Amino acid sequence: MKQVLIFAEQTAGELRPVALELLGAGRQLADKLGASLSCVVMGTAIAHLPAALIAAGADLVYLADNPALETYRTLPYRRVFIDLIASMEEPPHIILLGSTTTGRDLAPRIAAYLETGLTADCTELDIGPYEHTSAQDPSKVGLYKNCLYAIRPSFGESLKARILGPWKNPQMATVRPGVMVALPRDATRQGTVQEIPVNLSTEDLGLVVLETLRAVSESVELAKADVIVSGGYGLGSTEGFVLMHELASCFENSAVGSSRKAVDSGWIAHAHQVGQTGKTVRPKLYIACGISGAIQHRVGMDKSATIIAINRDAYAPIFKFAHFGIVGDLYQIIPEMIQQLKQGSVPSNFSKTGETNVLTHTL
Amino acid sequence: MNSFVLIKQVPDQSAKAGVNADGTIDRAKAKRMLNPFDCFALEAALQTKRLYGATVTAITMGPPPAIEILYEAIAHGVDQAVHLCDRRLAASDTLATAYALYNTVRYAGDFDLVFCGLQTTDGDTAQVGPQLAERLQVPQVTYCESFEIQGEKLIARRVTESGTQVVQCPLPAVVTVANSAHRLAYRTLRGVQRVHQLQRDEVERNQVIQTVSLDDIQADPARCGLKGSPTIVAATEKVGEIGGKCVLFQGKPIEAMVSDLLADISLVELVQR
Ligand SMILES: Cc1cc2nc3c(=O)[nH]c(=O)nc-3n(C[C@H](O)[C@H](O)[C@H](O)COP(=O)(O)OP(=O)(O)OC[C@H]3O[C@@H](n4cnc5c(N)ncnc54)[C@H](O)[C@@H]3O)c2cc1C
Repeated sequence: MKQVLIFAEQTAGELRPVALELLGAGRQLADKLGASLSCVVMGTAIAHLPAALIAAGADLVYLADNPALETYRTLPYRRVFIDLIASMEEPPHIILLGSTTTGRDLAPRIAAYLETGLTADCTELDIGPYEHTSAQDPSKVGLYKNCLYAIRPSFGESLKARILGPWKNPQMATVRPGVMVALPRDATRQGTVQEIPVNLSTEDLGLVVLETLRAVSESVELAKADVIVSGGYGLGSTEGFVLMHELASCFENSAVGSSRKAVDSGWIAHAHQVGQTGKTVRPKLYIACGISGAIQHRVGMDKSATIIAINRDAYAPIFKFAHFGIVGDLYQIIPEMIQQLKQGSVPSNFSKTGETNVLTHTL
Repeated sequence: MNSFVLIKQVPDQSAKAGVNADGTIDRAKAKRMLNPFDCFALEAALQTKRLYGATVTAITMGPPPAIEILYEAIAHGVDQAVHLCDRRLAASDTLATAYALYNTVRYAGDFDLVFCGLQTTDGDTAQVGPQLAERLQVPQVTYCESFEIQGEKLIARRVTESGTQVVQCPLPAVVTVANSAHRLAYRTLRGVQRVHQLQRDEVERNQVIQTVSLDDIQADPARCGLKGSPTIVAATEKVGEIGGKCVLFQGKPIEAMVSDLLADISLVELVQR
């Protein structure tokens, strides 16, 4: 039977949200294809994970439980993955991984090993037909049913490209975290668990993880906040975050976020970090203060309904995707903003007194 | 010790020239630049020269103008370069690109480290580095922010979602360098003088910068370019301008800008109802 295979990423025995999101997306693709949805999960002491994966949509869970797989490393994970695919009667129709640092490290190795196509960082997926007519490469001409449409932003995110590779299975893609929607958990779902062998060579084990500095710290309710006030390296010091908290307190249901550079500078805990290696957020209002708008920050917040950027550099990339911006020194602008908000010239849909409406920009 | 650094010439996205109305790039008209992500890889490779006396070879694949970025690399201190230049490479996807680069790396000789930029600004995939490592059958360290070499091992710090990881990796290896790593230092006076010399002296230029074809590196043309690419871009769709949509307040008194902004937000709210 046709298979859609998902790589279910976990750390320290906890599934990453993207694993469940991929199962949500994969379920739809599998149903359209009339295929089964399977996933592979690797780690150690993870016997509790298959149940969660089945409840999230998987029909079949391949489980590789081995101490050598405790922390993600390219070659051991690669080995288990390619051995799994080699053991199948036919390769999966589709393989999906999250475009996390792990997924982006692993997926290209597997695709290159299998000599198959891989599309990076997709934001939409679908199944559909494709007819190739261009005679430039006659071997590709033909009508193909059931292609994976891997859709991704490209060229500075101003274009969406639909990328296809129906000539060979598996058709592979990595998918941006925080974009696909997980299915509601259904503990009554039935599925199968299959343990798979772990045979690692000395070469596979050559790389050693010596330590992980700063593991994920206390939880901050960024995901649920309606308004996020986020500070970056432009704050210049940890005191800047006092100002961020003050601005945030002008709003109902608000939280303070940050860029990675502010976290790395030791000004605020990692739990506040927004972006590729932090949290993905989509509040009604995101106020970015002294944040340049690097791609890794952007992917964590560009789904926010309204983005306001405050930056003294008129050419900062953040102004390319913010909806509103003020060019200037945040230490002059934010206090003024706090003052005006407190005086009541407040947009009622965000203020402490107003009711909360969904605010979308007019773009 | 031998370090290779893989670099790419990309269209300059901040320049309007060469961007078609539909948002695609007209590569012939676009202004060109060294892929900004590769600056970090270049700096990392040059660090191995400064600290460990490595010989640094820059490798690029691209049309004839791509020699400009090899000059740039030499101005920064790179020792020599290989330019893979062949029309049959047009329309290569990441798999075909990694295959061609793999053959170029083999042609260039033994290496201890191959440094790649994290990704390119025109492709944005971050795939070629790991795909190359797979072909070379060596370990990889992606998202590397800093490193040192201890004996035969690379000790590297890499960024991940769960924190900064310190890994120990045997050599040879492929390293993709994060854009949060050390910034590229200035060009060296010696490097700049060397570039002037190379531009004047063809014989010396051909010694320092080897321009090679698929035949020279013994790559199979059927695995390159359109033919060797398992994926194609079937359609593109524009999703909003690069820049220009932001309502920007600037050059006015702070108080006025803030009240204008707050007024605009309420205005949007009114439009919503
Ligand atoms: C694998 C990887 C993962 C990453 N993950 C993340 C992530 O999850 N989240 C993240 O944020 N980054 C991440 N990064 C880092 C990212 O590339 C950027 O380095 C980072 O986002 C930059 O932070 P910043 O905008 O605060 O700092 P900078 O880029 O230094 O920007 C500071 C800005 O502040 C402005 N400024 C300075 N002073 C003032 C002032 N007084 N008033 C107003 N403006 C001022 C400046 O003009 C500048 O634009 C990651 C990088 C890698 C390689």
